[in-house]
Amino acid sequence: MSRLDSIDPTPPRTLWELFLGFLSIGARSFGGVLPAAHSIMVEKRRWLTPADFTEVCALCQILPGPNIGNASIVLGKRWFGLRGAIVAFLGLFALPYLWVLTLAVLYTHWVVFPRVSAVVTGAGAAGAGLFIATAVKLGRPIAGKPAAVALIAACFILVAIARVSLVIVMPIALTVGILFSSRGKL
Amino acid sequence: MILIQLGMYFALLSLLTFGGLGPVLPEMQRYIVDVKGWTTPGDFMQLFAVAQTAPGPNVLVTSLIGYRVAGVAGSVVALLALCLPAAAIAWVVSGLWERFRESPRRCVIQRALAPLLVGLMFAAGYTIATPHAPDWRLWLIALATATGMLTTRLNTLYLLAGGAVLGGILL
Repeated sequence: MSRLDSIDPTPPRTLWELFLGFLSIGARSFGGVLPAAHSIMVEKRRWLTPADFTEVCALCQILPGPNIGNASIVLGKRWFGLRGAIVAFLGLFALPYLWVLTLAVLYTHWVVFPRVSAVVTGAGAAGAGLFIATAVKLGRPIAGKPAAVALIAACFILVAIARVSLVIVMPIALTVGILFSSRGKL
Repeated sequence: MILIQLGMYFALLSLLTFGGLGPVLPEMQRYIVDVKGWTTPGDFMQLFAVAQTAPGPNVLVTSLIGYRVAGVAGSVVALLALCLPAAAIAWVVSGLWERFRESPRRCVIQRALAPLLVGLMFAAGYTIATPHAPDWRLWLIALATATGMLTTRLNTLYLLAGGAVLGGILL
């Protein structure tokens, strides 16, 4: 229990407040949405207790789709129903969408210069590195289990090397994973 | 026509997106570049890079791809198609969550997903860093960035900037 758990949360009172809250989450989330979402919804606006926040995150992680997008739907619905879900979703994506579209237009103009192209490609390779590091972090706790290692390797080879469609790989791998997992092998 | 194809495809992908956008990126690249030929592998990688430097959820790379394929309309269609089917599920499930969250089945699914997502994240790293034939310079940048993330607490924006500088020097 942290200090914030003992304070009663005050959910947003108006749709406008909900919109502004999610707008600032979208605008502030450089390099990861979760820290910004926590800082605004738990610390600054006190819409949620930390425990509540963790609970919503846990739900959104096992659902398909972008986690924070799902969180905007779940929370918007909780506070204002359908209108809330739409408003929270629009608030979240409004600024990042405009920003990314502006970048795309600029990029299209500048990419003809080889130096710009090299720099952007370098950033892309760095982004690939971030995925590898995340995979290592998430993989460490399960690396001692042979069934987990087999699944990791199978998914990598099928998708990255053999280029099999995820539409085929995901259902099969998930079925095998659930079989392993319900027998305590994962 | 192209908008409908784009929308249907991303709507399907929406249901396969677990643990962020990373795990579905190789699939997205396979479809957009290999199957449809809507853009080149190098361009796909650069669009991904541009999206990385923007704030907000990383699913925004879908709107960049949509923009490249079919302009502003494409960018809206791709983003909404990727989000809405999943949002509909979130809408329904959030009402059932109270019952489901103590259920042992939740743990079974979480444990089953973990190795899949790790394997797919590795696949994303490999696919993005290998747009054409293997290139040691791109792999070097990727591995240096991965090491940086694992051994320091630097904000990822600095790591991306480092990769951009290395790209400017090496490529």
